[in-house]
Amino acid sequence: MGFLTAEEKGLVNGLWGKVNVDEVGGEALGRLLVVYPWTQRFFQSFGDLSSADAIMGNSKVKAHGKKVLNSFSDGLKNIDDLKGAFAKLSELHCDKLHVDPENFRLLGNVLVCVLAHHFGHEFNPQVQAAFQKVVAGVANALAHKYH
Amino acid sequence: MLSAQERAHVAQVWDLIAGHEAAFGAELLLRLFTVYPSTKIYFKHLGVCPDEAQLLTHGQRVLQAVGVAVQHTDHLRAALSPLADLHAQVLRVDPANFPLLIQCFHVMLASHLQGEFTVQMQAAWDKFLTEVAMVLTEKYR
Repeated sequence: MGFLTAEEKGLVNGLWGKVNVDEVGGEALGRLLVVYPWTQRFFQSFGDLSSADAIMGNSKVKAHGKKVLNSFSDGLKNIDDLKGAFAKLSELHCDKLHVDPENFRLLGNVLVCVLAHHFGHEFNPQVQAAFQKVVAGVANALAHKYH
Repeated sequence: MLSAQERAHVAQVWDLIAGHEAAFGAELLLRLFTVYPSTKIYFKHLGVCPDEAQLLTHGQRVLQAVGVAVQHTDHLRAALSPLADLHAQVLRVDPANFPLLIQCFHVMLASHLQGEFTVQMQAAWDKFLTEVAMVLTEKYR
């Protein structure tokens, strides 16, 4: 068995196909910065982050969120080798960006909340479980090359 | 410590839950057990596969306690003291599990309330529940 069961793959791919990756990315990153304000430490150059409205409307946040989630989406195509898929990005986050891996877990959890927001009742416990598994896998993969 | 604004958001969230403690509580527990199966070890008395009635009963108990906390955001320690004793002396739920419950709470609220559960409400609710968890585990040692 790979990282996900066949059923979990079905649930994940089924839902992900309906996700507006660009929009959801901006929303997830924005939410991270609002709910866990200390994460703003990585985004000093992003301009106005002074309020929830400012953050959610900030064009740099949206652009960066889009970039991050497109990366995540690409990674999903290699769900059975997330460590391989995210190896380069892991090195980047450690060596250049100096991001505490705890932030990957936080962003993953926020992404799950945003999906629940968008999909409502369709985002049932089984779907949540599959996605929590995916975001945990991606977080681990991004932390894997830290030294 | 919650600001006045945060307390207002917490009250807003509670308004959307009040009256439906059993249903929300049951779904909260179901999500917790489905997403984080290891948490079931604390609920052995509910059996291997808790049925709907058990989830509703226990879920209601949990959410009613959250409701008590909402009414006493100014003095959580006093209001939750008996529950803190229970968790320290009897239940001894490892503190690492509370963030898992809190995540399931957010996901549940987001899926039910969608647009009504704003980012400001989520931020305040997360801060509040984290404080509650701290109070419940404070007497552990």
